[in-house]
Amino acid sequence: MNWIIAGPEIFYFAAGLFFLLATFIGDGSRPRKTPASRVGGWAVEILAAATCRREHLTALFLASVGILVCLVSVGSEGHLFIRAYRVDVFSQVFKTLISLGLFLIICICGGITDISERRHHEFYFLLFTCTLALMLLVSADHLLSIYISLEVSSYSLYILVALRKNQSFGLEAGIKYFLVGTFASAVMLFGMALLYSTSGTTYLTDMARVLPGIINRPGVVIGLLFTLGGFFFKLAVFPFHFLAPATYQGAANQVAAYIATASKVAAIAVILRVMAFAGQGSVYLVHILVVLSVVSMTMGNLAAIVQKDLKRLLAFSTIAHSGYVLLGILVLSPAGYSGAIFYALALLLMKFTAFMVIVELASDGRNLQIEELAGLHRRSPILALALMVSLFSLAGIPPTIGFAGKFLVFVAAIEKGYIALVIIAMINVVVSLYYYLLVIKAAYLLEPAEPLPPLGVSFPKKLLAGASTVVIVSAGFYPYWLVQLAQTAARALVWSR
Amino acid sequence: MHIAPAKFPCLSAILLCCVVGMLTIMLIPQERKRLMKQVSAFFSGITLLLALYVFFAYDKGLGGLQFVENVQWIPSLGISYFNAVDGFSLPNLLLTGIVFFTGVLTMWELETRVKEYFALYFLLVTGVFGLFMSMDLFFIFVWYDVSLFPMYLLIAVWGTTRKEYGAMKLTLYLLAGSALILPAIIFLWAKSGLNTFSFVLLTQPGLFSPEAQKFTFLLLFLGFGILAGVWPFHTWSPVGHVAAPTGVSMVHAGVLMKIGAFGVLRVAIMLCPLGWVYWAKLMAVLAATGIIYGALVGLRQTDLKYVIGYSSVSHMGVVGLGLSTVTAEGLNGAVFQMFAHGVMTALLFSSVGYIYDRTHTKLIPELGGLYRIMPVASTFFIIAAFAGMGVPGLANFWGELVVFVAALRTYPALGVIAVLALVVTALFMLRVVQRTFYGPGNERYALLPDVSLSLGIPRIILAAVLLILGFYPSFLFDVIQTASVPFMSGLPR
Repeated sequence: MNWIIAGPEIFYFAAGLFFLLATFIGDGSRPRKTPASRVGGWAVEILAAATCRREHLTALFLASVGILVCLVSVGSEGHLFIRAYRVDVFSQVFKTLISLGLFLIICICGGITDISERRHHEFYFLLFTCTLALMLLVSADHLLSIYISLEVSSYSLYILVALRKNQSFGLEAGIKYFLVGTFASAVMLFGMALLYSTSGTTYLTDMARVLPGIINRPGVVIGLLFTLGGFFFKLAVFPFHFLAPATYQGAANQVAAYIATASKVAAIAVILRVMAFAGQGSVYLVHILVVLSVVSMTMGNLAAIVQKDLKRLLAFSTIAHSGYVLLGILVLSPAGYSGAIFYALALLLMKFTAFMVIVELASDGRNLQIEELAGLHRRSPILALALMVSLFSLAGIPPTIGFAGKFLVFVAAIEKGYIALVIIAMINVVVSLYYYLLVIKAAYLLEPAEPLPPLGVSFPKKLLAGASTVVIVSAGFYPYWLVQLAQTAARALVWSR
Repeated sequence: MHIAPAKFPCLSAILLCCVVGMLTIMLIPQERKRLMKQVSAFFSGITLLLALYVFFAYDKGLGGLQFVENVQWIPSLGISYFNAVDGFSLPNLLLTGIVFFTGVLTMWELETRVKEYFALYFLLVTGVFGLFMSMDLFFIFVWYDVSLFPMYLLIAVWGTTRKEYGAMKLTLYLLAGSALILPAIIFLWAKSGLNTFSFVLLTQPGLFSPEAQKFTFLLLFLGFGILAGVWPFHTWSPVGHVAAPTGVSMVHAGVLMKIGAFGVLRVAIMLCPLGWVYWAKLMAVLAATGIIYGALVGLRQTDLKYVIGYSSVSHMGVVGLGLSTVTAEGLNGAVFQMFAHGVMTALLFSSVGYIYDRTHTKLIPELGGLYRIMPVASTFFIIAAFAGMGVPGLANFWGELVVFVAALRTYPALGVIAVLALVVTALFMLRVVQRTFYGPGNERYALLPDVSLSLGIPRIILAAVLLILGFYPSFLFDVIQTASVPFMSGLPR
């Protein structure tokens, strides 16, 4: 076996291990002589020195190295674990996206106050573990490896959600998330069992050969649908959506940002992989996906209109966006896949930018109400601009990356004749613009009841806000390279079938 | 079709000018308001000069597409950055330049959030310019939306009457229009099988089946028609006009509504000519209804800006009627009317803006006798109002005349009704002029100053354009002819 091709996974495993060890050594708040450090010698001393109070910088460093490792591994291809694990361009592109997501999230974790300081090591440990699991997920090529990696990532997230200092909030959200999550995995396991019983195989590659002949049998359709259910939970597609708002609201802002970005990207990847391998030629499945897509986007957008809490609003908009992504997947064409891949990247960037503003504005880690944005344009023009651009991008207004993503998906859909579906999606875009405009109005129009001081945004944060704004706009105006990247990844996905 | 590449990328230079202007304004410190205005005037002046240059350098003998810049943008989807001008887009390009420049000068007295205002204003105009010069459907859509979304903030922050409601209504209506346009554009791309969004390649005759053309034309007509203020989708327009600050009203009524009409002409009519012929009667009925409806509702308004808003609905109906005649004359008249109406409403809003800034009211009953207090400001308004009535010697006369002659030939009954509606328009314009500028004056306003020369410059430019075109209409007609005649002769019968 060629272990080199699993470089990113090994790196993130090591990084997770590093933070795990750190949890045993120091409690983060103050250096303490533990029995371990007396016995462990110089390595542990250095470890303790490196992590004590500097865990954020360490995490930041590790995450940025992680991006490099992922970038280096983009060209590699091969199999591991008796072909249950596949490394190809598709998976490596997604790993790079996930590592980028982790890096960005850690960037805004600097002043995290919502998670008690002695839990910081655990926090970063879980973040890295979850990222590792998401990376395993995008490479998984076997029902069992999919299931295991999905569970590892979910369990990390359950704890991350529950870690919030405000006990009732975090715990409630964590338990809800856990209950719905386990329900979804039970459904998924049942679906996988059905798939195995009908196709006689657990490898996705073998399914791609066996299933087309029997694709319209009830057992296969239900099996596929239930299997997808587990991923729909991750992507927050109807009917597995209803925990998303509560989770976002209950989780710390940074954790919610992670769920909205990195975890969504991986979910898109795995749905793409399963649909591209097993879903070919299934009429019923496509019909059901059409319904799920339409219901997701319509319901998400309508529910978002009445939200007062910014995180809840973003949660409902995530549900709507899942509907748009599903639109790209259900056309079952390389153009649609590349559209969905591009959309994953776009979601990552725009959701991150919106959450960054939330994190900066709610520096004490509270949940931000929309009216609290009042006067933002005066308090911090750069954050207001970043928020506006990210929201317009989420609404799909050109020239932003969100529009480019929607455009690619719509092109693929109309190519396959789903013009009615695209018109419904466009009407949804108009509906969604309404609530995004309400947020923009709060940031640019409303004045706070009593004058608030300007926000002290640190220079790196300003740089980050400016950079993400520039990237969102310029990638929307000239998406050529990113489109090519997405197309290459989509081709790899189709070829490997 | 004659296609002449540009020696110097004038069209991109116009866009670049807007973008650079916007960035420069954003870099100027918040306090230096005067500098920001000077920079805005400088950059908008350059775009006007460039637009004038393009207009006069266009070779009318050769016609076709000139100043062509074509760069591959996303080859795998057939998207290219393709700019060019023809007889249809030239007048609109010039109109945008004029209204842009005069709009900046009109807002010279702005004091609140100057930086954001001019930055957004430049962004808006970038989209407008881009749309008029783009020959790629993808970019047409992009520019369409770029010219829309700054409107929300421009109206909601700097506007007046019911500004948040007006801004939201306008944005949602126009985005609803784009919701119809985008699927239609992609549908054409998919149907053609050429993997191109290039307008030139997609206008080959016989590329789309009649059924596809009928379907797509309807989507495109409704989508762009919302922006053109076609009845019954016009309701956003008076509300938006009234709420917007003066400079934005000028761009909005003067240029933005033309985008809609231009989109109907450029995208819907030229790509789906069979659909056009099929739906022409519907277009004509909607347009005539708009003319009458706008005039009648305008008669009852007491707010000066509402009066102008409804007159816009009526006048844009004339444009729509011209487009629906399926004749070269109708197209000529429609494009001419687009230009004339753009200049006329810009002048009306500019004058009302001056009056409102002084009196702080736009309500006709509260005004009166203004001619004695500010004769120059009143004169500007009266010139524009006369243009709106279609008085000979002013630009609108020719546009309306040509459209109505074409309409009477094609749809005699509708044409007669529409001409009668003109009488109503004249009536309500005269009523407004009489009540606002003559009769007993309001003592409160007796000491207000008249327009100074520096503030008068934008109004003088606009009034001069109206007069020049009134006496010398072939200045525009010659250019429009170079596009309308070849297009109509190439139309499959």
